[in-house]
Amino acid sequence: MREYFKNIYEAVATILIGMGVTLRHLFVPSVTLQYPKEKIELPPRSRMQLYVNIDDCIGCRQCERACPVDCIEIDTIKADKDEDLGLTSNGKKKPFHVTRFDIDMSKCCFCNLCTFPCPTECIYMTPDFEYAQEDRSNLNFHFSNYTPEQVAELQKREAEKKAALAAAKANAGKKPTAN
Amino acid sequence: MTQWNNNFPDSRFELEVPDPLKTDEYVLNMGPQHPSTHGVLRVVLKTDGEIVESATPYIGYLHRTFEKHAEHMTWPQVVPYVDRMDYLASMNNALGYALAVEKLAGIEVNERAQYLRVIVAELNRIASHLVFFGTFGLDLGAFTPFLYGFREREMILDLFEEISGGRLLYNYIWIGGVAWDAPDGWLEKVIKFCDYFEPKIKEYNDLLTFNKIFIDRTAGIGVIPEDLAINYGLSGPTLRGSGVNFDLRKNDPYGIYDRFNFNVCVGDGTRGVVGDSWNRYWVRILEMVESTKIVRQAVEQIPDGDAKETVPKNVRVPAGEIYFRTETPRGELGYYIVSDGGKNPVRVKVRAPAFSNLSVLPAVAPGTMVADLVAILGSLDIVLGEIDR
Ligand code: SF4
Ligand code: SF4
Repeated sequence: MREYFKNIYEAVATILIGMGVTLRHLFVPSVTLQYPKEKIELPPRSRMQLYVNIDDCIGCRQCERACPVDCIEIDTIKADKDEDLGLTSNGKKKPFHVTRFDIDMSKCCFCNLCTFPCPTECIYMTPDFEYAQEDRSNLNFHFSNYTPEQVAELQKREAEKKAALAAAKANAGKKPTAN
Repeated sequence: MTQWNNNFPDSRFELEVPDPLKTDEYVLNMGPQHPSTHGVLRVVLKTDGEIVESATPYIGYLHRTFEKHAEHMTWPQVVPYVDRMDYLASMNNALGYALAVEKLAGIEVNERAQYLRVIVAELNRIASHLVFFGTFGLDLGAFTPFLYGFREREMILDLFEEISGGRLLYNYIWIGGVAWDAPDGWLEKVIKFCDYFEPKIKEYNDLLTFNKIFIDRTAGIGVIPEDLAINYGLSGPTLRGSGVNFDLRKNDPYGIYDRFNFNVCVGDGTRGVVGDSWNRYWVRILEMVESTKIVRQAVEQIPDGDAKETVPKNVRVPAGEIYFRTETPRGELGYYIVSDGGKNPVRVKVRAPAFSNLSVLPAVAPGTMVADLVAILGSLDIVLGEIDR
């Protein structure tokens, strides 16, 4: 009998202690944010979205190689000898036309491994997190600023160059057999 | 046609009743999607009324072939994958992997980086135990502690976001060091957090730990005796809750843990009996206090220097193999790594603490109530991401 009442007493007393804690929290400022109305400023390192400053990219593909899930896809076409693509902001020469630079953010695991090896620091994470899409294909971000026509032209030039090179090689290869 | 006969009892009802009354056992699937299974775990219960006769955990719903993936990744690329095993304590997972590879490759790590690693690992231990604190209360029907636990955890995550950029999966601890040095004022913020956090423990105790109803639900439930715990290979707070004083940070110190002064918390039977759910819970509450102690000491002792100094550009690991174990919030996390001197590991086998901890469930479940099974499962603090990998 005594045990019974002791149990009831203890249960009520400890619940009241707990409720006291809750009650005290009525008088402290709230820690939550009303999200769409209030926004928190994220620290500069936060990894929300990848961004490529394509003007600085030299097409070295180090980021592509560092990525563990292969979500970066880069196509490059070598510049001609007399073609000058300009310099990057830290003074590196750009040897490639970067005809394709796609990052599929729906595959990305936000590990940040791609941003460290970049020699020109042109690929980096930004704290912008509001880019939800209705269609998954919209998460495939295209950073290259070449138009399809330009790309086709460059590809044609590259193919011609290759063909010429192959022809030259074939000629060079023929000679010894002819002799 | 049956002719209705008003003379009762009828001979047709004179069935033979076996003595004692035999009832069929009832097979019940708990999970895979069930809030108390902390992920996707299926427990097949054979129950007799409300009493569990046997419980068999079925796992594999979260299998992501981590170990196979690791064979195709370069050494640093494995780190984001180990982060995803025990997603509540990513830092601790990465720490174990980094230490293992460093030992195999003979890489000396910069002092400052080592201290930063200890700070983030211990903060992550607190964060992980806070999730446990919240969800364990939630399992037993106490919703409020969950919000309190997550409030403090949020602060730790903010600290992590500032230093590493990630909130859950950090890729912060690298082979040979850390990804970034701490930003300005970060260490002061850590100390501020410790100051804020220590009094909160009392709040948790008032709210949940010494609540009579909570004690009644957990004390004496799911008692794992010392020998059973050792036989099943339990580790971490689950083992210490059974009164075994074993903590790898003390018993087999790795990294710089031998420089810190802290206690190993063991279940002491303050309430209930040693080895029950309440004591496993209590060990984790005590451990949070010890972790703040370690964090404080680490911040005090941290030297200046370049935390990224010893991160190699290309990780070269000579041929060989290693087994390395560290203490994560869930217990002994072991990495068995084989290298053939190439760019990728040949084999990365993980000894997941939660896997062994879960294995004890069929041994303690028989004879408990279904509702108590939830308490036992909660007190084992499993993370399915780590069990299935
Ligand atoms: S963040 Fe990681 S997964 Fe995403 S693109 Fe960079 S390397 Fe690949
Ligand atoms: S590493 Fe940098 S420069 Fe090289 S391809 Fe990637 S973004 Fe361009």
